[in-house]
Amino acid sequence: MKIFKIFRNDSWVKPFLGKYRKSLCWALVLGFITFFCAGALMFNSGYLISRSASLPENILLVYVPIVLTRAFGIGRPVFKYLERLTSHNWVLKLTSELRLKLYQVLEKDAIFFKKDYQTGNILGLLSEDINHIQNLYLRTVFPTVIAWLLYIFIVICLGYFSLWFALVMLLLFAILVILLPIWSTIVNGARQEQQKQMRNQLYTELTDNVLGISDWIFSQRSLEYAEKHIRLEQKFQKITKAIRNFNHKRNFLAQLVFCIIAIVLLIWTSQYFPGNHGGSANWIAAFVLAVFPLIDAFAPLSDAAQETNIYQDSLIRLNRLQDEQTKRTLNLERNEKKIVAPYTVKIKSLKFKYPDNAKLLINNLDLKIVDGEKIAILGKSGSGKSTLANLIRGDLTPTEGKVVLNQEETYKFGDKISNYIGVIHQAPYLFNTSIRNNLSIGNEGASEQELWDVLERVGLKKLVVELPDKLDTLVDEAGLRFSGGERHRLALARILLKDVPIIILDEPTVSLDPVTEQEVIETFIKELQGKTLIWITHHLQGLSLMDQVIFLEDGHLEMSGSPQKLARDNRHYRKLLAIDQGF
Amino acid sequence: MIDKSILRFPHIKKILFLLTGITFLQAFAIVGQACFLAAAIVGLWNGLHIDSQFVNILLFAICFCARHSAIFLRERILDNYAAEQASSLRKQLLIKIFCVGPQVIQQNGTGNITTMVLEGIDQVENYLHLTLSKVISLMIVPWIVLLSILFFDWKSAAFLLIIFPVIIIFMVVLGYAAQSKADRQYKTYQILSNHFVDSLRGIDTLKFFGLSKQYGKSIFKTSERFRKATLNTLKIAILSTFALDFFTTLSIAVVAVMLGLRLIDGHILLYPALAILILSPEYFLPIRDFSSDYHATLNGKNSMGAISKILAIEEEKVEQQDLPTWSSESYLKINALDFGYKNEPTLSEVSLKVKGYQKIGIIGLSGAGKSTLINLLSGFLKPQAGQISVNGIEISSFSQHDWQKQIIYIPQNPYIFRATLRDNITFYQPDATTEQVHEAIRVVGLEQLVSELTQGIDTVIGEGSRSLSGGQAQRIALARAFLDKKRKILLFDEPTAHLDIETEVELKERMLPLMEDHLVFFATHRLHWMQEMDQIVVMEHGRIAEQGTLKDLKQHNGSFIRLSSSVGRL
Repeated sequence: MKIFKIFRNDSWVKPFLGKYRKSLCWALVLGFITFFCAGALMFNSGYLISRSASLPENILLVYVPIVLTRAFGIGRPVFKYLERLTSHNWVLKLTSELRLKLYQVLEKDAIFFKKDYQTGNILGLLSEDINHIQNLYLRTVFPTVIAWLLYIFIVICLGYFSLWFALVMLLLFAILVILLPIWSTIVNGARQEQQKQMRNQLYTELTDNVLGISDWIFSQRSLEYAEKHIRLEQKFQKITKAIRNFNHKRNFLAQLVFCIIAIVLLIWTSQYFPGNHGGSANWIAAFVLAVFPLIDAFAPLSDAAQETNIYQDSLIRLNRLQDEQTKRTLNLERNEKKIVAPYTVKIKSLKFKYPDNAKLLINNLDLKIVDGEKIAILGKSGSGKSTLANLIRGDLTPTEGKVVLNQEETYKFGDKISNYIGVIHQAPYLFNTSIRNNLSIGNEGASEQELWDVLERVGLKKLVVELPDKLDTLVDEAGLRFSGGERHRLALARILLKDVPIIILDEPTVSLDPVTEQEVIETFIKELQGKTLIWITHHLQGLSLMDQVIFLEDGHLEMSGSPQKLARDNRHYRKLLAIDQGF
Repeated sequence: MIDKSILRFPHIKKILFLLTGITFLQAFAIVGQACFLAAAIVGLWNGLHIDSQFVNILLFAICFCARHSAIFLRERILDNYAAEQASSLRKQLLIKIFCVGPQVIQQNGTGNITTMVLEGIDQVENYLHLTLSKVISLMIVPWIVLLSILFFDWKSAAFLLIIFPVIIIFMVVLGYAAQSKADRQYKTYQILSNHFVDSLRGIDTLKFFGLSKQYGKSIFKTSERFRKATLNTLKIAILSTFALDFFTTLSIAVVAVMLGLRLIDGHILLYPALAILILSPEYFLPIRDFSSDYHATLNGKNSMGAISKILAIEEEKVEQQDLPTWSSESYLKINALDFGYKNEPTLSEVSLKVKGYQKIGIIGLSGAGKSTLINLLSGFLKPQAGQISVNGIEISSFSQHDWQKQIIYIPQNPYIFRATLRDNITFYQPDATTEQVHEAIRVVGLEQLVSELTQGIDTVIGEGSRSLSGGQAQRIALARAFLDKKRKILLFDEPTAHLDIETEVELKERMLPLMEDHLVFFATHRLHWMQEMDQIVVMEHGRIAEQGTLKDLKQHNGSFIRLSSSVGRL
């Protein structure tokens, strides 16, 4: 089956199995004991009643069964309780490991991760996958393994009495433990696959059309879509119905097997334990009654097995994630040398393309940025601005040519580059924790005073003072408590705390309205005075404050110079300027 | 025990009647199964040969099968019924959403709406299914079983009857205790569980600060804290299940011991004792089933509430009037229009006069009310006060069928459907020919894009497949407008605000010819567009601060001059 194939090459679940072996064993043993107690309770009670009915002279003769009945009666719920705690504990331990692993895998190319996956909620999906693995264990693996243990136990015990009867039971239980689960996984597997695809289709189509709802309304075709969706939905229902019908029939069949098991046991015990008003016939009730509590252990196996079809995708996705990464060559050359001011960035005949794409994103670029210079990089979307920024920070390795910071190639710095180059993004990310923690990312050792100082510099002191918990106010998810401009100011505060000599501003203000934008830019430039500033932008606002402006087109320099010089000598620039300013 | 909202489903009485019948059958089969099995065992215990028990065993098998056939039948009936109700509910919901429109979506969020239509209704289906089957069997099966036990031995029956409410009281009390503990921990719990996704989302920020490697430790630590917190809650949360389990299993043990002792004293015979022993787990089975699915039903109940809320939204009936097609002779008068969200006025006393194919520029800073005005003109919002007349015909709002069918609305981010380029362009004119599509592509300057697409205009574009740049999306919106020659009213809401300056220039050259022979409302904060407008409306704090031609406004030293100095000369 597919799931086994996936499991064979799996690097997400298997490695962790050995890690907490002890608690895993406990969870399984406790699960086994739970069902054992349930069966033993009925076994014992059956014996107790039969034995009592044969009127023993002394109550002490049934004393042991009486005590055992009570013990099993209490044992079952207690062990079940413990089993649930142990198995959850184990699964959550596994989750911690999986999360760490997922984080570490993603961390390797954190910078490009979001770009690779565009908008789709891949992050949510991946963390959901980990929850799926949890369920795979709790709902499929544990119950199945426990049922197998019971199965082996039952067959061995019966083998003690009679080999051939043990064989009969081996075969009968095999229907429940092996045949039906495999059959359902195969028969329903294809349907589930189809169901899943249709589900995804329904989801994407509905989302797509809900987002475009105003066009449906204006075009006055809304009902057309509703009908189309319902038609697709009906097809989906048909498959769901097929799966359910199969399940009902299979469940019925499983119950039939239990019925046969009970009858066969009745016949066998009547032969093996013959008696008259008791004697060894007391065991007949014991054996037959013990079958019924075991239904709970074996009946859910088929459903559990076919659930693996659902988890399959999660496993595939997680495993593929790593494969893709190992394909990317990681540069291990590291530069350990410390560099000192003045910091000069030099770009020498730089060319860059992604290995799987022939298009040169940066084509023969030369540029020198001296310490303290303020440079703006302009260009249309797709002109290579952001790629250039990534190359400067050393997140990408040049295909040809060099990007050096004081003679050292930037990609060799690794994580150390963050001591020299800081970045402020289009959408600065604020973590869902306190303002203090968000600022501390810049400098973990910053004092209370330093934090307030920096907030004052970015113009947020007043706002934070008025918040109920001051610096310890939570910023709410993704910083939604703050407006766009405020978020940028917090990001700036973070960078100021980090105190790096070179700052890359990657279209930081693109989502703001012009007046806020101008205010934010002014704060940025004032507070970053003295540092090297590389500002990527696509319009002209605030450019007059820069020392140098370069225009990128298709990865090479289209024009460059100081804004004043360009305004004087360059016709194209003058035209753009005129448009931007209105008249 | 059955929620009132369930009783409102159509044909519910018939279904309830049918289910009750089936459940009675099932209950009798359970009793029969136990009695015949007990009889067979007793027969064998008495030393009779297995052959003599053939009838008992056969009857046991028949009852056993009858019981599970009843379950099979019940499930099939409920499957069909629940699925039917779910699909009718889904249909109502979809039609509602697509008729009431953007309001519902804005209030609930796109994600919530799609989840509601797909998962929410599934949950309702499940809820319907579970509640009907579990509640009915809880109401019938234990009592029939108890009656049969009573028939055999009143003492055991009395014991089982008394223990039942005890179980329920314990479950409820422990359930509440668990709930209040969970509530107390909820906030920390929430933070811990979101921490992971939060860290993944901010992973690039961590990298930029060189912290990403060491942050892994924090992820692990938080996850472990989460584990401990979860286990602490779980310890209490599963106590109510434990109580149920404990009392039911212990009751069976007590019944067994009680019967055993009375057998020794000769107060009872083996047959009834055995039958009671086999029946007592069946007595508790329905309540156990009921409690195991309790949480699933809670979700269903909540979804049901959310869905009914949307279905209950009344579509405001706007009196539809026959409006003429907009022509060069048409005129529109708006007088003292007011609009506000929750009593906070966002637009007040807006008055406008428009004639023929004029181009109206609406300018102002963000928050000045430009978008609200455009939304009023499109009919998505309805004014709270004011008069509107088109060619002298009075209307209360623009949500008029005859008005909306003349509009093309182009927002800042036109929505590109996940469909072929052709379907996207012909959205308003599904019958357009290939030649017309190609002409539209040429007019708006999309040839470059088409040449890059592997299957030309039949390539699927949009989210998840080939994504487009902002400029390309705008061009597609323009192509839609170009194809639909009948729609003479263009509404633009900041169409170029997010584009780079060069793309904006290129686009402007394509847009201007399309605006000819159209009534145009153009909201923007980019001043250079004003040169192309016949009339300019300057918005400030929800009011019209100034209006007139560009020349007038330039001469008059008012809001427009102030605005251009704060925007243009930055």
